Amino acid sequence: MAHSQTKELVIQRHQANALLQAPVLSPMKRSPEDLSVDHPTRPLEAEVVEAVASALHGGQTHYVDVPGMPRLRELLAGWLQAMGVGPYAADHVLVTAGVQEARFLSIQVLGDLLGGVALPDVVHPGALKAAGVRRLRVHRLPTEGAQGFLPTLSGIREALAGGVRLFYLESPVRLTGAAFDMASVKEIAHALQEHDAAVIWDQGLAPWVEGCPFLAAEPDLAERTVVLGEAWPGAGLESMLLGYLAAKQEWLEMMRSQKQVISICTSTPYQLAGMELAGRYPQIHAEQVRALARLRQWAVEQARGLSLEVLPGAAVNLLALRLRDSERANARLREKGLEVAWGEEFGAPGVLRLAMTSESALAKAFAALREATPA
Amino acid sequence: MTTQTQKRGTDLLYSLLAEARGYADAIVLGRGDPDFDTPPHIVEAARKAMLEHGNDYTPPEGILPLRQAIAERVQKVNGITVDPETEVVVTNGGQEALFLMVISTIGEGDALLVPEPNYNTYNDALRFARGIKVGVPTLPEEGFRLVPQRMREAITERTRAMLLVSPNNPSAAVIPPDDVRELVRIAQEEDLLILADDIYDLFLYDGAQHLSPAAVPGGKERTLTLNALSKAFAMTGWRAGWIVGPADLMAQVRQHKAAVTGATSIVAQYAALAALTGPQDAVEQMRQAYARRRRIVMEALDSLGIRYGMPQGGQFLFADIGFTGMDSAELARQILREEHVLVYPGSAFAPGCERYLRITFLQPEDKLREGMERVKRAMERILASKAA
Repeated sequence: MAHSQTKELVIQRHQANALLQAPVLSPMKRSPEDLSVDHPTRPLEAEVVEAVASALHGGQTHYVDVPGMPRLRELLAGWLQAMGVGPYAADHVLVTAGVQEARFLSIQVLGDLLGGVALPDVVHPGALKAAGVRRLRVHRLPTEGAQGFLPTLSGIREALAGGVRLFYLESPVRLTGAAFDMASVKEIAHALQEHDAAVIWDQGLAPWVEGCPFLAAEPDLAERTVVLGEAWPGAGLESMLLGYLAAKQEWLEMMRSQKQVISICTSTPYQLAGMELAGRYPQIHAEQVRALARLRQWAVEQARGLSLEVLPGAAVNLLALRLRDSERANARLREKGLEVAWGEEFGAPGVLRLAMTSESALAKAFAALREATPA
Repeated sequence: MTTQTQKRGTDLLYSLLAEARGYADAIVLGRGDPDFDTPPHIVEAARKAMLEHGNDYTPPEGILPLRQAIAERVQKVNGITVDPETEVVVTNGGQEALFLMVISTIGEGDALLVPEPNYNTYNDALRFARGIKVGVPTLPEEGFRLVPQRMREAITERTRAMLLVSPNNPSAAVIPPDDVRELVRIAQEEDLLILADDIYDLFLYDGAQHLSPAAVPGGKERTLTLNALSKAFAMTGWRAGWIVGPADLMAQVRQHKAAVTGATSIVAQYAALAALTGPQDAVEQMRQAYARRRRIVMEALDSLGIRYGMPQGGQFLFADIGFTGMDSAELARQILREEHVLVYPGSAFAPGCERYLRITFLQPEDKLREGMERVKRAMERILASKAA
């Protein structure tokens, strides 16, 4: 084949883009044995499946509105309000093809508008990749391991003083489940208002934190906040990839306009599934939270029994540990056929994240970690 | 507030679509959404996938069985040989495929040769990438043929790639195989990449022949080719499509896919798999229906003496309304308000196309006839008022 300098140039340019080349997270197998998952794994209820199939057989297979089916947007707005997220109505909500599209739209559209974005040192790699597509000015925020890798408030203040006008913050942190407390949320809100800055608030893990504080619920903060996450997580929609964004209408319109260019609309079957699931979710979720909380408490005791460092985290679906010898631990876990999420992919080497899937899988993991712990 | 993402042409189309929704008796001859529903066996596959694979893992490039089916499809239909492991990426429909093709190859200040008129989203994607559009005109008096020499003459040192859409949207012109070969030769000589949009490759009329640039010797190594299930299987709402190309470029497409939307939903992927591997008779039935409907629109326009580019492929035609003396956006709005028929203005597709309307034939025959009758009424009124 003839050598193409043009192709080489294009490829080299992308390969030199460290943000774009951020890791694609290791595969999630979404089984009770897979400890690398984020949200709990659960099959979609058969009644939901049949209702979706019936709607599809009935002809609901065509393009739908770019921002999402109106009824679904209403249901999402209702769910966000019930969680106490903020004063978002249906026309503030944009349905997305999973949480990654929500990240991409918010980071690229607002990053372009506000001259770049600040990203925590420890963050879901999808946020880095989203910022790398059309290169934005990226400021990195220091995080504190002892606080579950939440960005430090001093780091946020320094960035504001340095002219940063857009922040991407995870609360809870995707790696550890640590969430800002109410006092920190109020302090961030005050600082953002003082500097006329904005925030993209990834709250995808919030349903797993009891009483999770929301920045957009603070007075006037919804005007400067985009919230995003997965719709009704843990109830069987995970592999269908249904996400959401909510923001003031001016910003929502800009993101809607960009979504139109990317994918026209979010896939109809998932939107139908979301609508069917919404009413059933509160009961499913409440039962899950109770079971997960018990399991996590047990897992924390196991970890402490092995003298492992448990990182702060409020989300009941995850447990993050800092290891002294992660390579050895990885080898032992793999020998037992166990997958976990590694902090290295989020920017925190030496940390591993366990999903609260089942006591038997977790017991196997702790046995592997015991073997990997130097005497 | 002005941003890189504002898009006049696309927004004009969506505003007309929104207005059309306000009329209970509206007939939509604008949007490219087939009136047919997705064949039942595909819906059944989706139902089964929700029950059996609802929690399966899918990588950003898509599940292997679907990539294998895509590889077989492009081999059989397009003559393109690809390795399903490394040379296929599944996307959220043709639209995401189009967006990914552009942002994976065109950077800030790079130029893309774009035949005009064209599907307006190419301009939007290019604007997002901060690339430069170099429009290469195709002319009505030449049947909107893309003349290879004009493409060659438009090349500058900033040019990185050429876009080839065949059948073209909105002109419905098909690039003849000899011209495709010549365009590939130009790409080789000038060291350009090729972005090929084959989305209407199954919808050809009057013996027109489609040739994929990647099937031409020397073409595959520099060509990304997109396609989707939306048009061929009436699956517009599902969002399932793909890009195929050489492994080195596809590795970058995969990175961009992971950055933009991550993986494509497992259910849409299993539905796509059923579409590609299951019965194909629905596709042929739809193709025959479009061929009949195309005649209905052509006859209606002929009766008014309206000229149009001969639709050799696709699901629409591009009608010349210059005789009205009206701008196409103004005329489309007037037809919509007075007759409740939605047609798309040419001005949304390219500068200089203000004298064209894109009319799709994606409605049942009786509805299409009724729609064209209404268009005819509107035109006659306009001509009468001009005469007065």
